[in-house]
Amino acid sequence: MSTTEMNLAPDDRRLGTGAPIQDTRSDKIAVACIYTALGLFCLAILYPIVYVASASVSNTSKVAAGEVWLWPVGFTLDAYKAIFDYKSIVTGFGNSVFYAVAGALVATVLTLLAAYPLSRKGLPGKGLIMAAFVFTMMFSGGLIPTYLVVDQLGLLNTRWAMILPAALAVWNVIITRTYFMVTIPEELVEAGKVDGCSDFGFFWRIVLPLSKPIIAVNLLFYAVGQWNSFFNALIYLTNEHLFPLQVILRQILIQSKVDPSQMADTSKLMHLKELQEQLKYSLIVIGMIPPLLVYPFVQKHFVKGAMVGSLKG
Amino acid sequence: MLAGGGVLSGCSGSGGSGSGDASGSGVAPKVTPGPKTAGVLYPPDYVGPIARDLKPITTEKVKFSIVVPQDLKVGDWSTNAFTKWLEQRTGIHIDFRQVASGDDMMTKVNAMIAAGDIPDAFLAVPWSRSQLYLFGQQGLFPDLSAHIDGYAVNLQQAMKDYPDSRKLMQAPDKKIYSFPSYNDCYHCRAGRGRAYLNTQWVEKVGLATPKTTDEFRELLTAFKKADLGGNGRTIPFAGYKDSPLDTYFMNSFLYNPGEPWLFVKDGKVDVTFNKDEWREGLKFIHGLYADGLINKDAFTADSDQMRKYGTTPGQAIVGGARVYSLGEFLDVASTDPNARYRQYTAVPPLEGPNGVRQATWDYFGALGVGTLVITKKCQRPELLVQWADCQMELQAILRSSFGPQGPNTWQWAKAGDLGLEGKQAIYRQNYDWANTTGQFWDQYGVLYRSRGYRSGERYNSKGNALEKGLLDDTQKYYEPYKQPQEMQFPPVALDQDQAAQEAELSTNLNSEVNLSFAKFVTGRLDPNDDTAWNDYKDRVTKIGLKSYLEVQQAGYEAYHG
Repeated sequence: MSTTEMNLAPDDRRLGTGAPIQDTRSDKIAVACIYTALGLFCLAILYPIVYVASASVSNTSKVAAGEVWLWPVGFTLDAYKAIFDYKSIVTGFGNSVFYAVAGALVATVLTLLAAYPLSRKGLPGKGLIMAAFVFTMMFSGGLIPTYLVVDQLGLLNTRWAMILPAALAVWNVIITRTYFMVTIPEELVEAGKVDGCSDFGFFWRIVLPLSKPIIAVNLLFYAVGQWNSFFNALIYLTNEHLFPLQVILRQILIQSKVDPSQMADTSKLMHLKELQEQLKYSLIVIGMIPPLLVYPFVQKHFVKGAMVGSLKG
Repeated sequence: MLAGGGVLSGCSGSGGSGSGDASGSGVAPKVTPGPKTAGVLYPPDYVGPIARDLKPITTEKVKFSIVVPQDLKVGDWSTNAFTKWLEQRTGIHIDFRQVASGDDMMTKVNAMIAAGDIPDAFLAVPWSRSQLYLFGQQGLFPDLSAHIDGYAVNLQQAMKDYPDSRKLMQAPDKKIYSFPSYNDCYHCRAGRGRAYLNTQWVEKVGLATPKTTDEFRELLTAFKKADLGGNGRTIPFAGYKDSPLDTYFMNSFLYNPGEPWLFVKDGKVDVTFNKDEWREGLKFIHGLYADGLINKDAFTADSDQMRKYGTTPGQAIVGGARVYSLGEFLDVASTDPNARYRQYTAVPPLEGPNGVRQATWDYFGALGVGTLVITKKCQRPELLVQWADCQMELQAILRSSFGPQGPNTWQWAKAGDLGLEGKQAIYRQNYDWANTTGQFWDQYGVLYRSRGYRSGERYNSKGNALEKGLLDDTQKYYEPYKQPQEMQFPPVALDQDQAAQEAELSTNLNSEVNLSFAKFVTGRLDPNDDTAWNDYKDRVTKIGLKSYLEVQQAGYEAYHG
């Protein structure tokens, strides 16, 4: 629409700029279908979030009785207060934030350093290196050998075990490499060289400033990945002070699914149920908030960076 | 940890002079129990842990590394109040390595073992008997028999109190690869055969508590007809997926312990699910279902759904339920005398058309193996055995379960306090589980909670009325109908090949039987149709019932052998 208007000659203005072009019947149907479909998708994603948020501030017995279905019933913040009774939840949250931030930084730096050389034509053995990267996407050493490596590197039961193993995602390297290939033409490198710029100088002064979208995408991917992961913690950590939030959350959800026949103590079973009912939703909300806060800030880069990277791969 | 000889005074009074040597089995005890703590009251004929004054096990500086599950309630194991108390009492320092608990715990444990990153011991890791046997034979877990005979005075007492103990602790090669724990939950023994009815409703329809399957059916039909839940919402009898129906109803037709449906007759292991009596039972349950007397989703409803049925706003809509305890579908926390859960009471088993009336009874549930598993890396296993044994002393059990002694946790009972079975109580318990963290081990440690100990808790209508209710109805309604002990298939340990075979066959068999049970009950298969019944028996045979029974028979014979 706007381009059409801009192209109009001044004389044509009197034809009336306010009247939009009429959609055809089939257009209208198509638009209606698209809106319905998107609306349904939106609902399918929004509803669980709203439900969990409502349940987290509702009276737990009302939630158990199924009285909460959209809005809070019997508003209370007890569930959030209860969280602070558990030191492991609070430290878990802090740890998760640390792992997400540190993990994202380390991984992004590695990704950029790997992707840029691979995007340049002159790199000797480029095909081989790329093949080696891709090989690891399909084959891995398996749990025990990886565990042995982590153990012998002395990473076991340290924060590094959460950050270093599998820090680099080959998928992200490919996206980033493609982004560089598309946005940083060889000619720019040559121009830089003519002006006496070294490879590192070029990377630092020209490539990085031009790559904000892809950096943002990488940071986001890695941070969210770290935030949601629990398996490395499960396998490599044996110190409660290092556990991320997801391990704690998982424990609460699993532990309360106790088989009633295995439970020697009815009172303990009841208590576990109460604990779950009390903490489940508030913990999920707490687990949801940081990614929700970060998304809006990176979103504008996100679409741009990921799209450019994924096209013409 | 350090090795070398030292002063062993046992976790109990003045000890012998044994150092690290504990080879020959059947050795005379090297330590003697400490003196009884003064001022602790016990009921007459009490069987269970005794409070004793103890001296530290050792004066050396020793420490062990132990893998434990991470738990919200225990918090940081190394700063936990019970940990500190136990360290002070035993003189043994433990470096805890906390592993995230849950299904993946074994993944981590297996990775540690495979990588050779082995601690001195594992505490509260869910080992199966067959795993213990396997790792024991591989030499990863040493045989503890000699140490148990020589040093574990409290365990020795428990083994006398529970005569089957040694048989249950032993692997097929007669060795003991772990330190066990006792939790004799009397009412759990009847848990599988338990069901409840709404007694207010029974009165309202003017009938008596049913004694036979026919009367039961009549009662549920009356519930439905009277629509006591209102608006056609009445569920005469409710079940859900975590609480199988067959363990209650089938015992009116034949002895049925429930999954994996094994029983022993004249020394032969057999299954219940292909017998003609099973089919008669299916016809009965199908009849109830077809008349709308059981909730439509009895096989698919989850615990949340079950709770929704139980806690409907306004009036109750559930006439009865097959559950292990009321807390599964009702809100039992309330102390209100008119709280809904008070409408429900347990029903005894029903007498079937052929006069069968049994309650499935668990004779073996009190002892759990694998609680503390010592590995070959531990250089002083006898010290860890004593460390574990210390936890079976009465005061340690109370602290481990409820936290440090005090008015808001637990205290010794006064003369005249009555326990759950109406005798002199041993302790009062007044702790607030929900708001306690870092004070106790929340039943992860080694315990000796005998029936006498459990019912030695002072009765308090606000705190443990539910537990008392379970105890009473077990005594009144279920124990009189229990099957003979020799009919129950005991927990057996299998060797590696047998275990692999058993795992595969039992997975297939269990899913086939469960699925067909649901189909026969809901009418997708007709139990009155001979072809459908014979097809089902064929399917079961084809899966490999014969080899399955052979494996179990071998395990059974090894257990008794």
